[in-house]
Amino acid sequence: MKNILLVCAAGMSTSMLVTKMEKAAVNKDEEIKITATSGGDVKKYIDEAEVLLLGPQVSYLKADYEKQYGDERGIPVEVINSIDYGTMNGEKVLNWAIDLIDSK
Amino acid sequence: MAIADFQQKLQSGAGKISSNKYLKSVSDGLMSALPALIIGAFSTLLSGMAIEPYQDFITNTGLKPILDLPSQYTIDMIALYAVFFIAYRLATAFDKDGAPAGLIALMSFFVLTPTALLDESAVLPFQFLGAQGLFVAIIVGLISARLYVLIVDKGITIKMPDGVPPTVSKTFAGLVPGILIVVLFTIISAIFDATTYGSMHQVVYSFIQTPLQNLGGGFWSLIAMILVIHVLWLLGIHGMLVVLPIYLSIWMPLGVENLDALAAGEELPNIVNTGFAQLFILLGGSGATLGLAIIMTFMAKSKRYKTLGRLSLPGSIFGINEPLIFGLPIVLNPYLAIPFVLAPLVVSIIPYFLMASGLVTKLAGAHLPLGTPAFFNAIIQGGFSILVLQILMIILSGIIYYPFFRIIDKQAVKEEESAQESLE
Repeated sequence: MKNILLVCAAGMSTSMLVTKMEKAAVNKDEEIKITATSGGDVKKYIDEAEVLLLGPQVSYLKADYEKQYGDERGIPVEVINSIDYGTMNGEKVLNWAIDLIDSK
Repeated sequence: MAIADFQQKLQSGAGKISSNKYLKSVSDGLMSALPALIIGAFSTLLSGMAIEPYQDFITNTGLKPILDLPSQYTIDMIALYAVFFIAYRLATAFDKDGAPAGLIALMSFFVLTPTALLDESAVLPFQFLGAQGLFVAIIVGLISARLYVLIVDKGITIKMPDGVPPTVSKTFAGLVPGILIVVLFTIISAIFDATTYGSMHQVVYSFIQTPLQNLGGGFWSLIAMILVIHVLWLLGIHGMLVVLPIYLSIWMPLGVENLDALAAGEELPNIVNTGFAQLFILLGGSGATLGLAIIMTFMAKSKRYKTLGRLSLPGSIFGINEPLIFGLPIVLNPYLAIPFVLAPLVVSIIPYFLMASGLVTKLAGAHLPLGTPAFFNAIIQGGFSILVLQILMIILSGIIYYPFFRIIDKQAVKEEESAQESLE
């Protein structure tokens, strides 16, 4: 099982992307858990997460999260490509996230 | 490239602001208190609806005081909820237990709040528990929680003599921060009590909160707020998130004042409040893009933009427009930068002057939950006339976006045609 955590400002637009990613995840061989949250609640979910993806609107949090979670836990912290994010390309973001987990 | 450099600098600046522990605790704490405010707002709106037969009905049947009850214990006491959660959030940000910090902050807040005598028994007036006490709530919440963190970090405890059971000494150890902080605020309270103002609440309200709110509720602050939010968004930064501490701590109490006036049957004092922002500035999300989403869906010639319009329209009605901001994209797009700033300015300035001149009623001022759909939020805040105004503003924002959108749409059509040709 893989566990992906997405963060944006209020967790709202990201949850739209999560719905699309979950649709794409149905076709994968393994179970994939995808969670969307707001910046304040990252701590709650970070223990289970294998990759932390940021919405492009909060890309400035990247350095902060890398320091807090990336180095310590070895979790990749990346910003989602803004066009993929805007067009809600769930499949592409999902595949990219899986690659990030596999290659860490 | 210079722009990229500038963007990076701005991003790190914005990052610093929005991840500053104190500012973040203020906005997170106020956000945590919002459910209480929203429940109270619905109670006020239900009891305050200006429809005469309805008012006669609820007054005659004695329903009105019952409808008012939830708002009395939420909106009129919002500072109590706020002080607890602001302290809670700050302590949590320092990896400390939030609940004791919240409790100590609440006690400290009460210690500072003057009581009154009514028929020879002491009562606690509502005056400073609601919007008027919100700044003290912010100050006390931050100071007491910071002190709590400091005392816990220093490990200051009471040394019990040997032989005292460990459980007993532990209880006392946990009490130390509370005792120290509450004693401190008791002294502060006594000092203010001795002045001619009578309480810290009175001083903060007169000399900090009122001037800031007058400043923040004015026309130029509205313009400044809109400019800051949207210029940041154009550079790819969540502008709303950056201004959130100011937005919530200044504009939210302005809305609460309106709700209080509505409940009391008085004239609504403030044009600008968070409700105003939700109805007009954020009409479809930052950039007032609902009009844009509509023209994309129904008038786009290119497949690309028509698809994106369809994808973004449902979210736009609920005020979520990231698909437009990043998918169109609006970020760093020279064609859409002008309307993205202009549209929210125009659709806010027109309602502002209509309200200032008294042609249209001011908004009830309820802070509605994120994702409250357009149209519905207008009806809640001001009934039919505000709904009509909002619809006109949507059309107007569409008109502002249209010529700029046409340019990129034509380009996209050309690209699609040449892609088609090269396939054939």
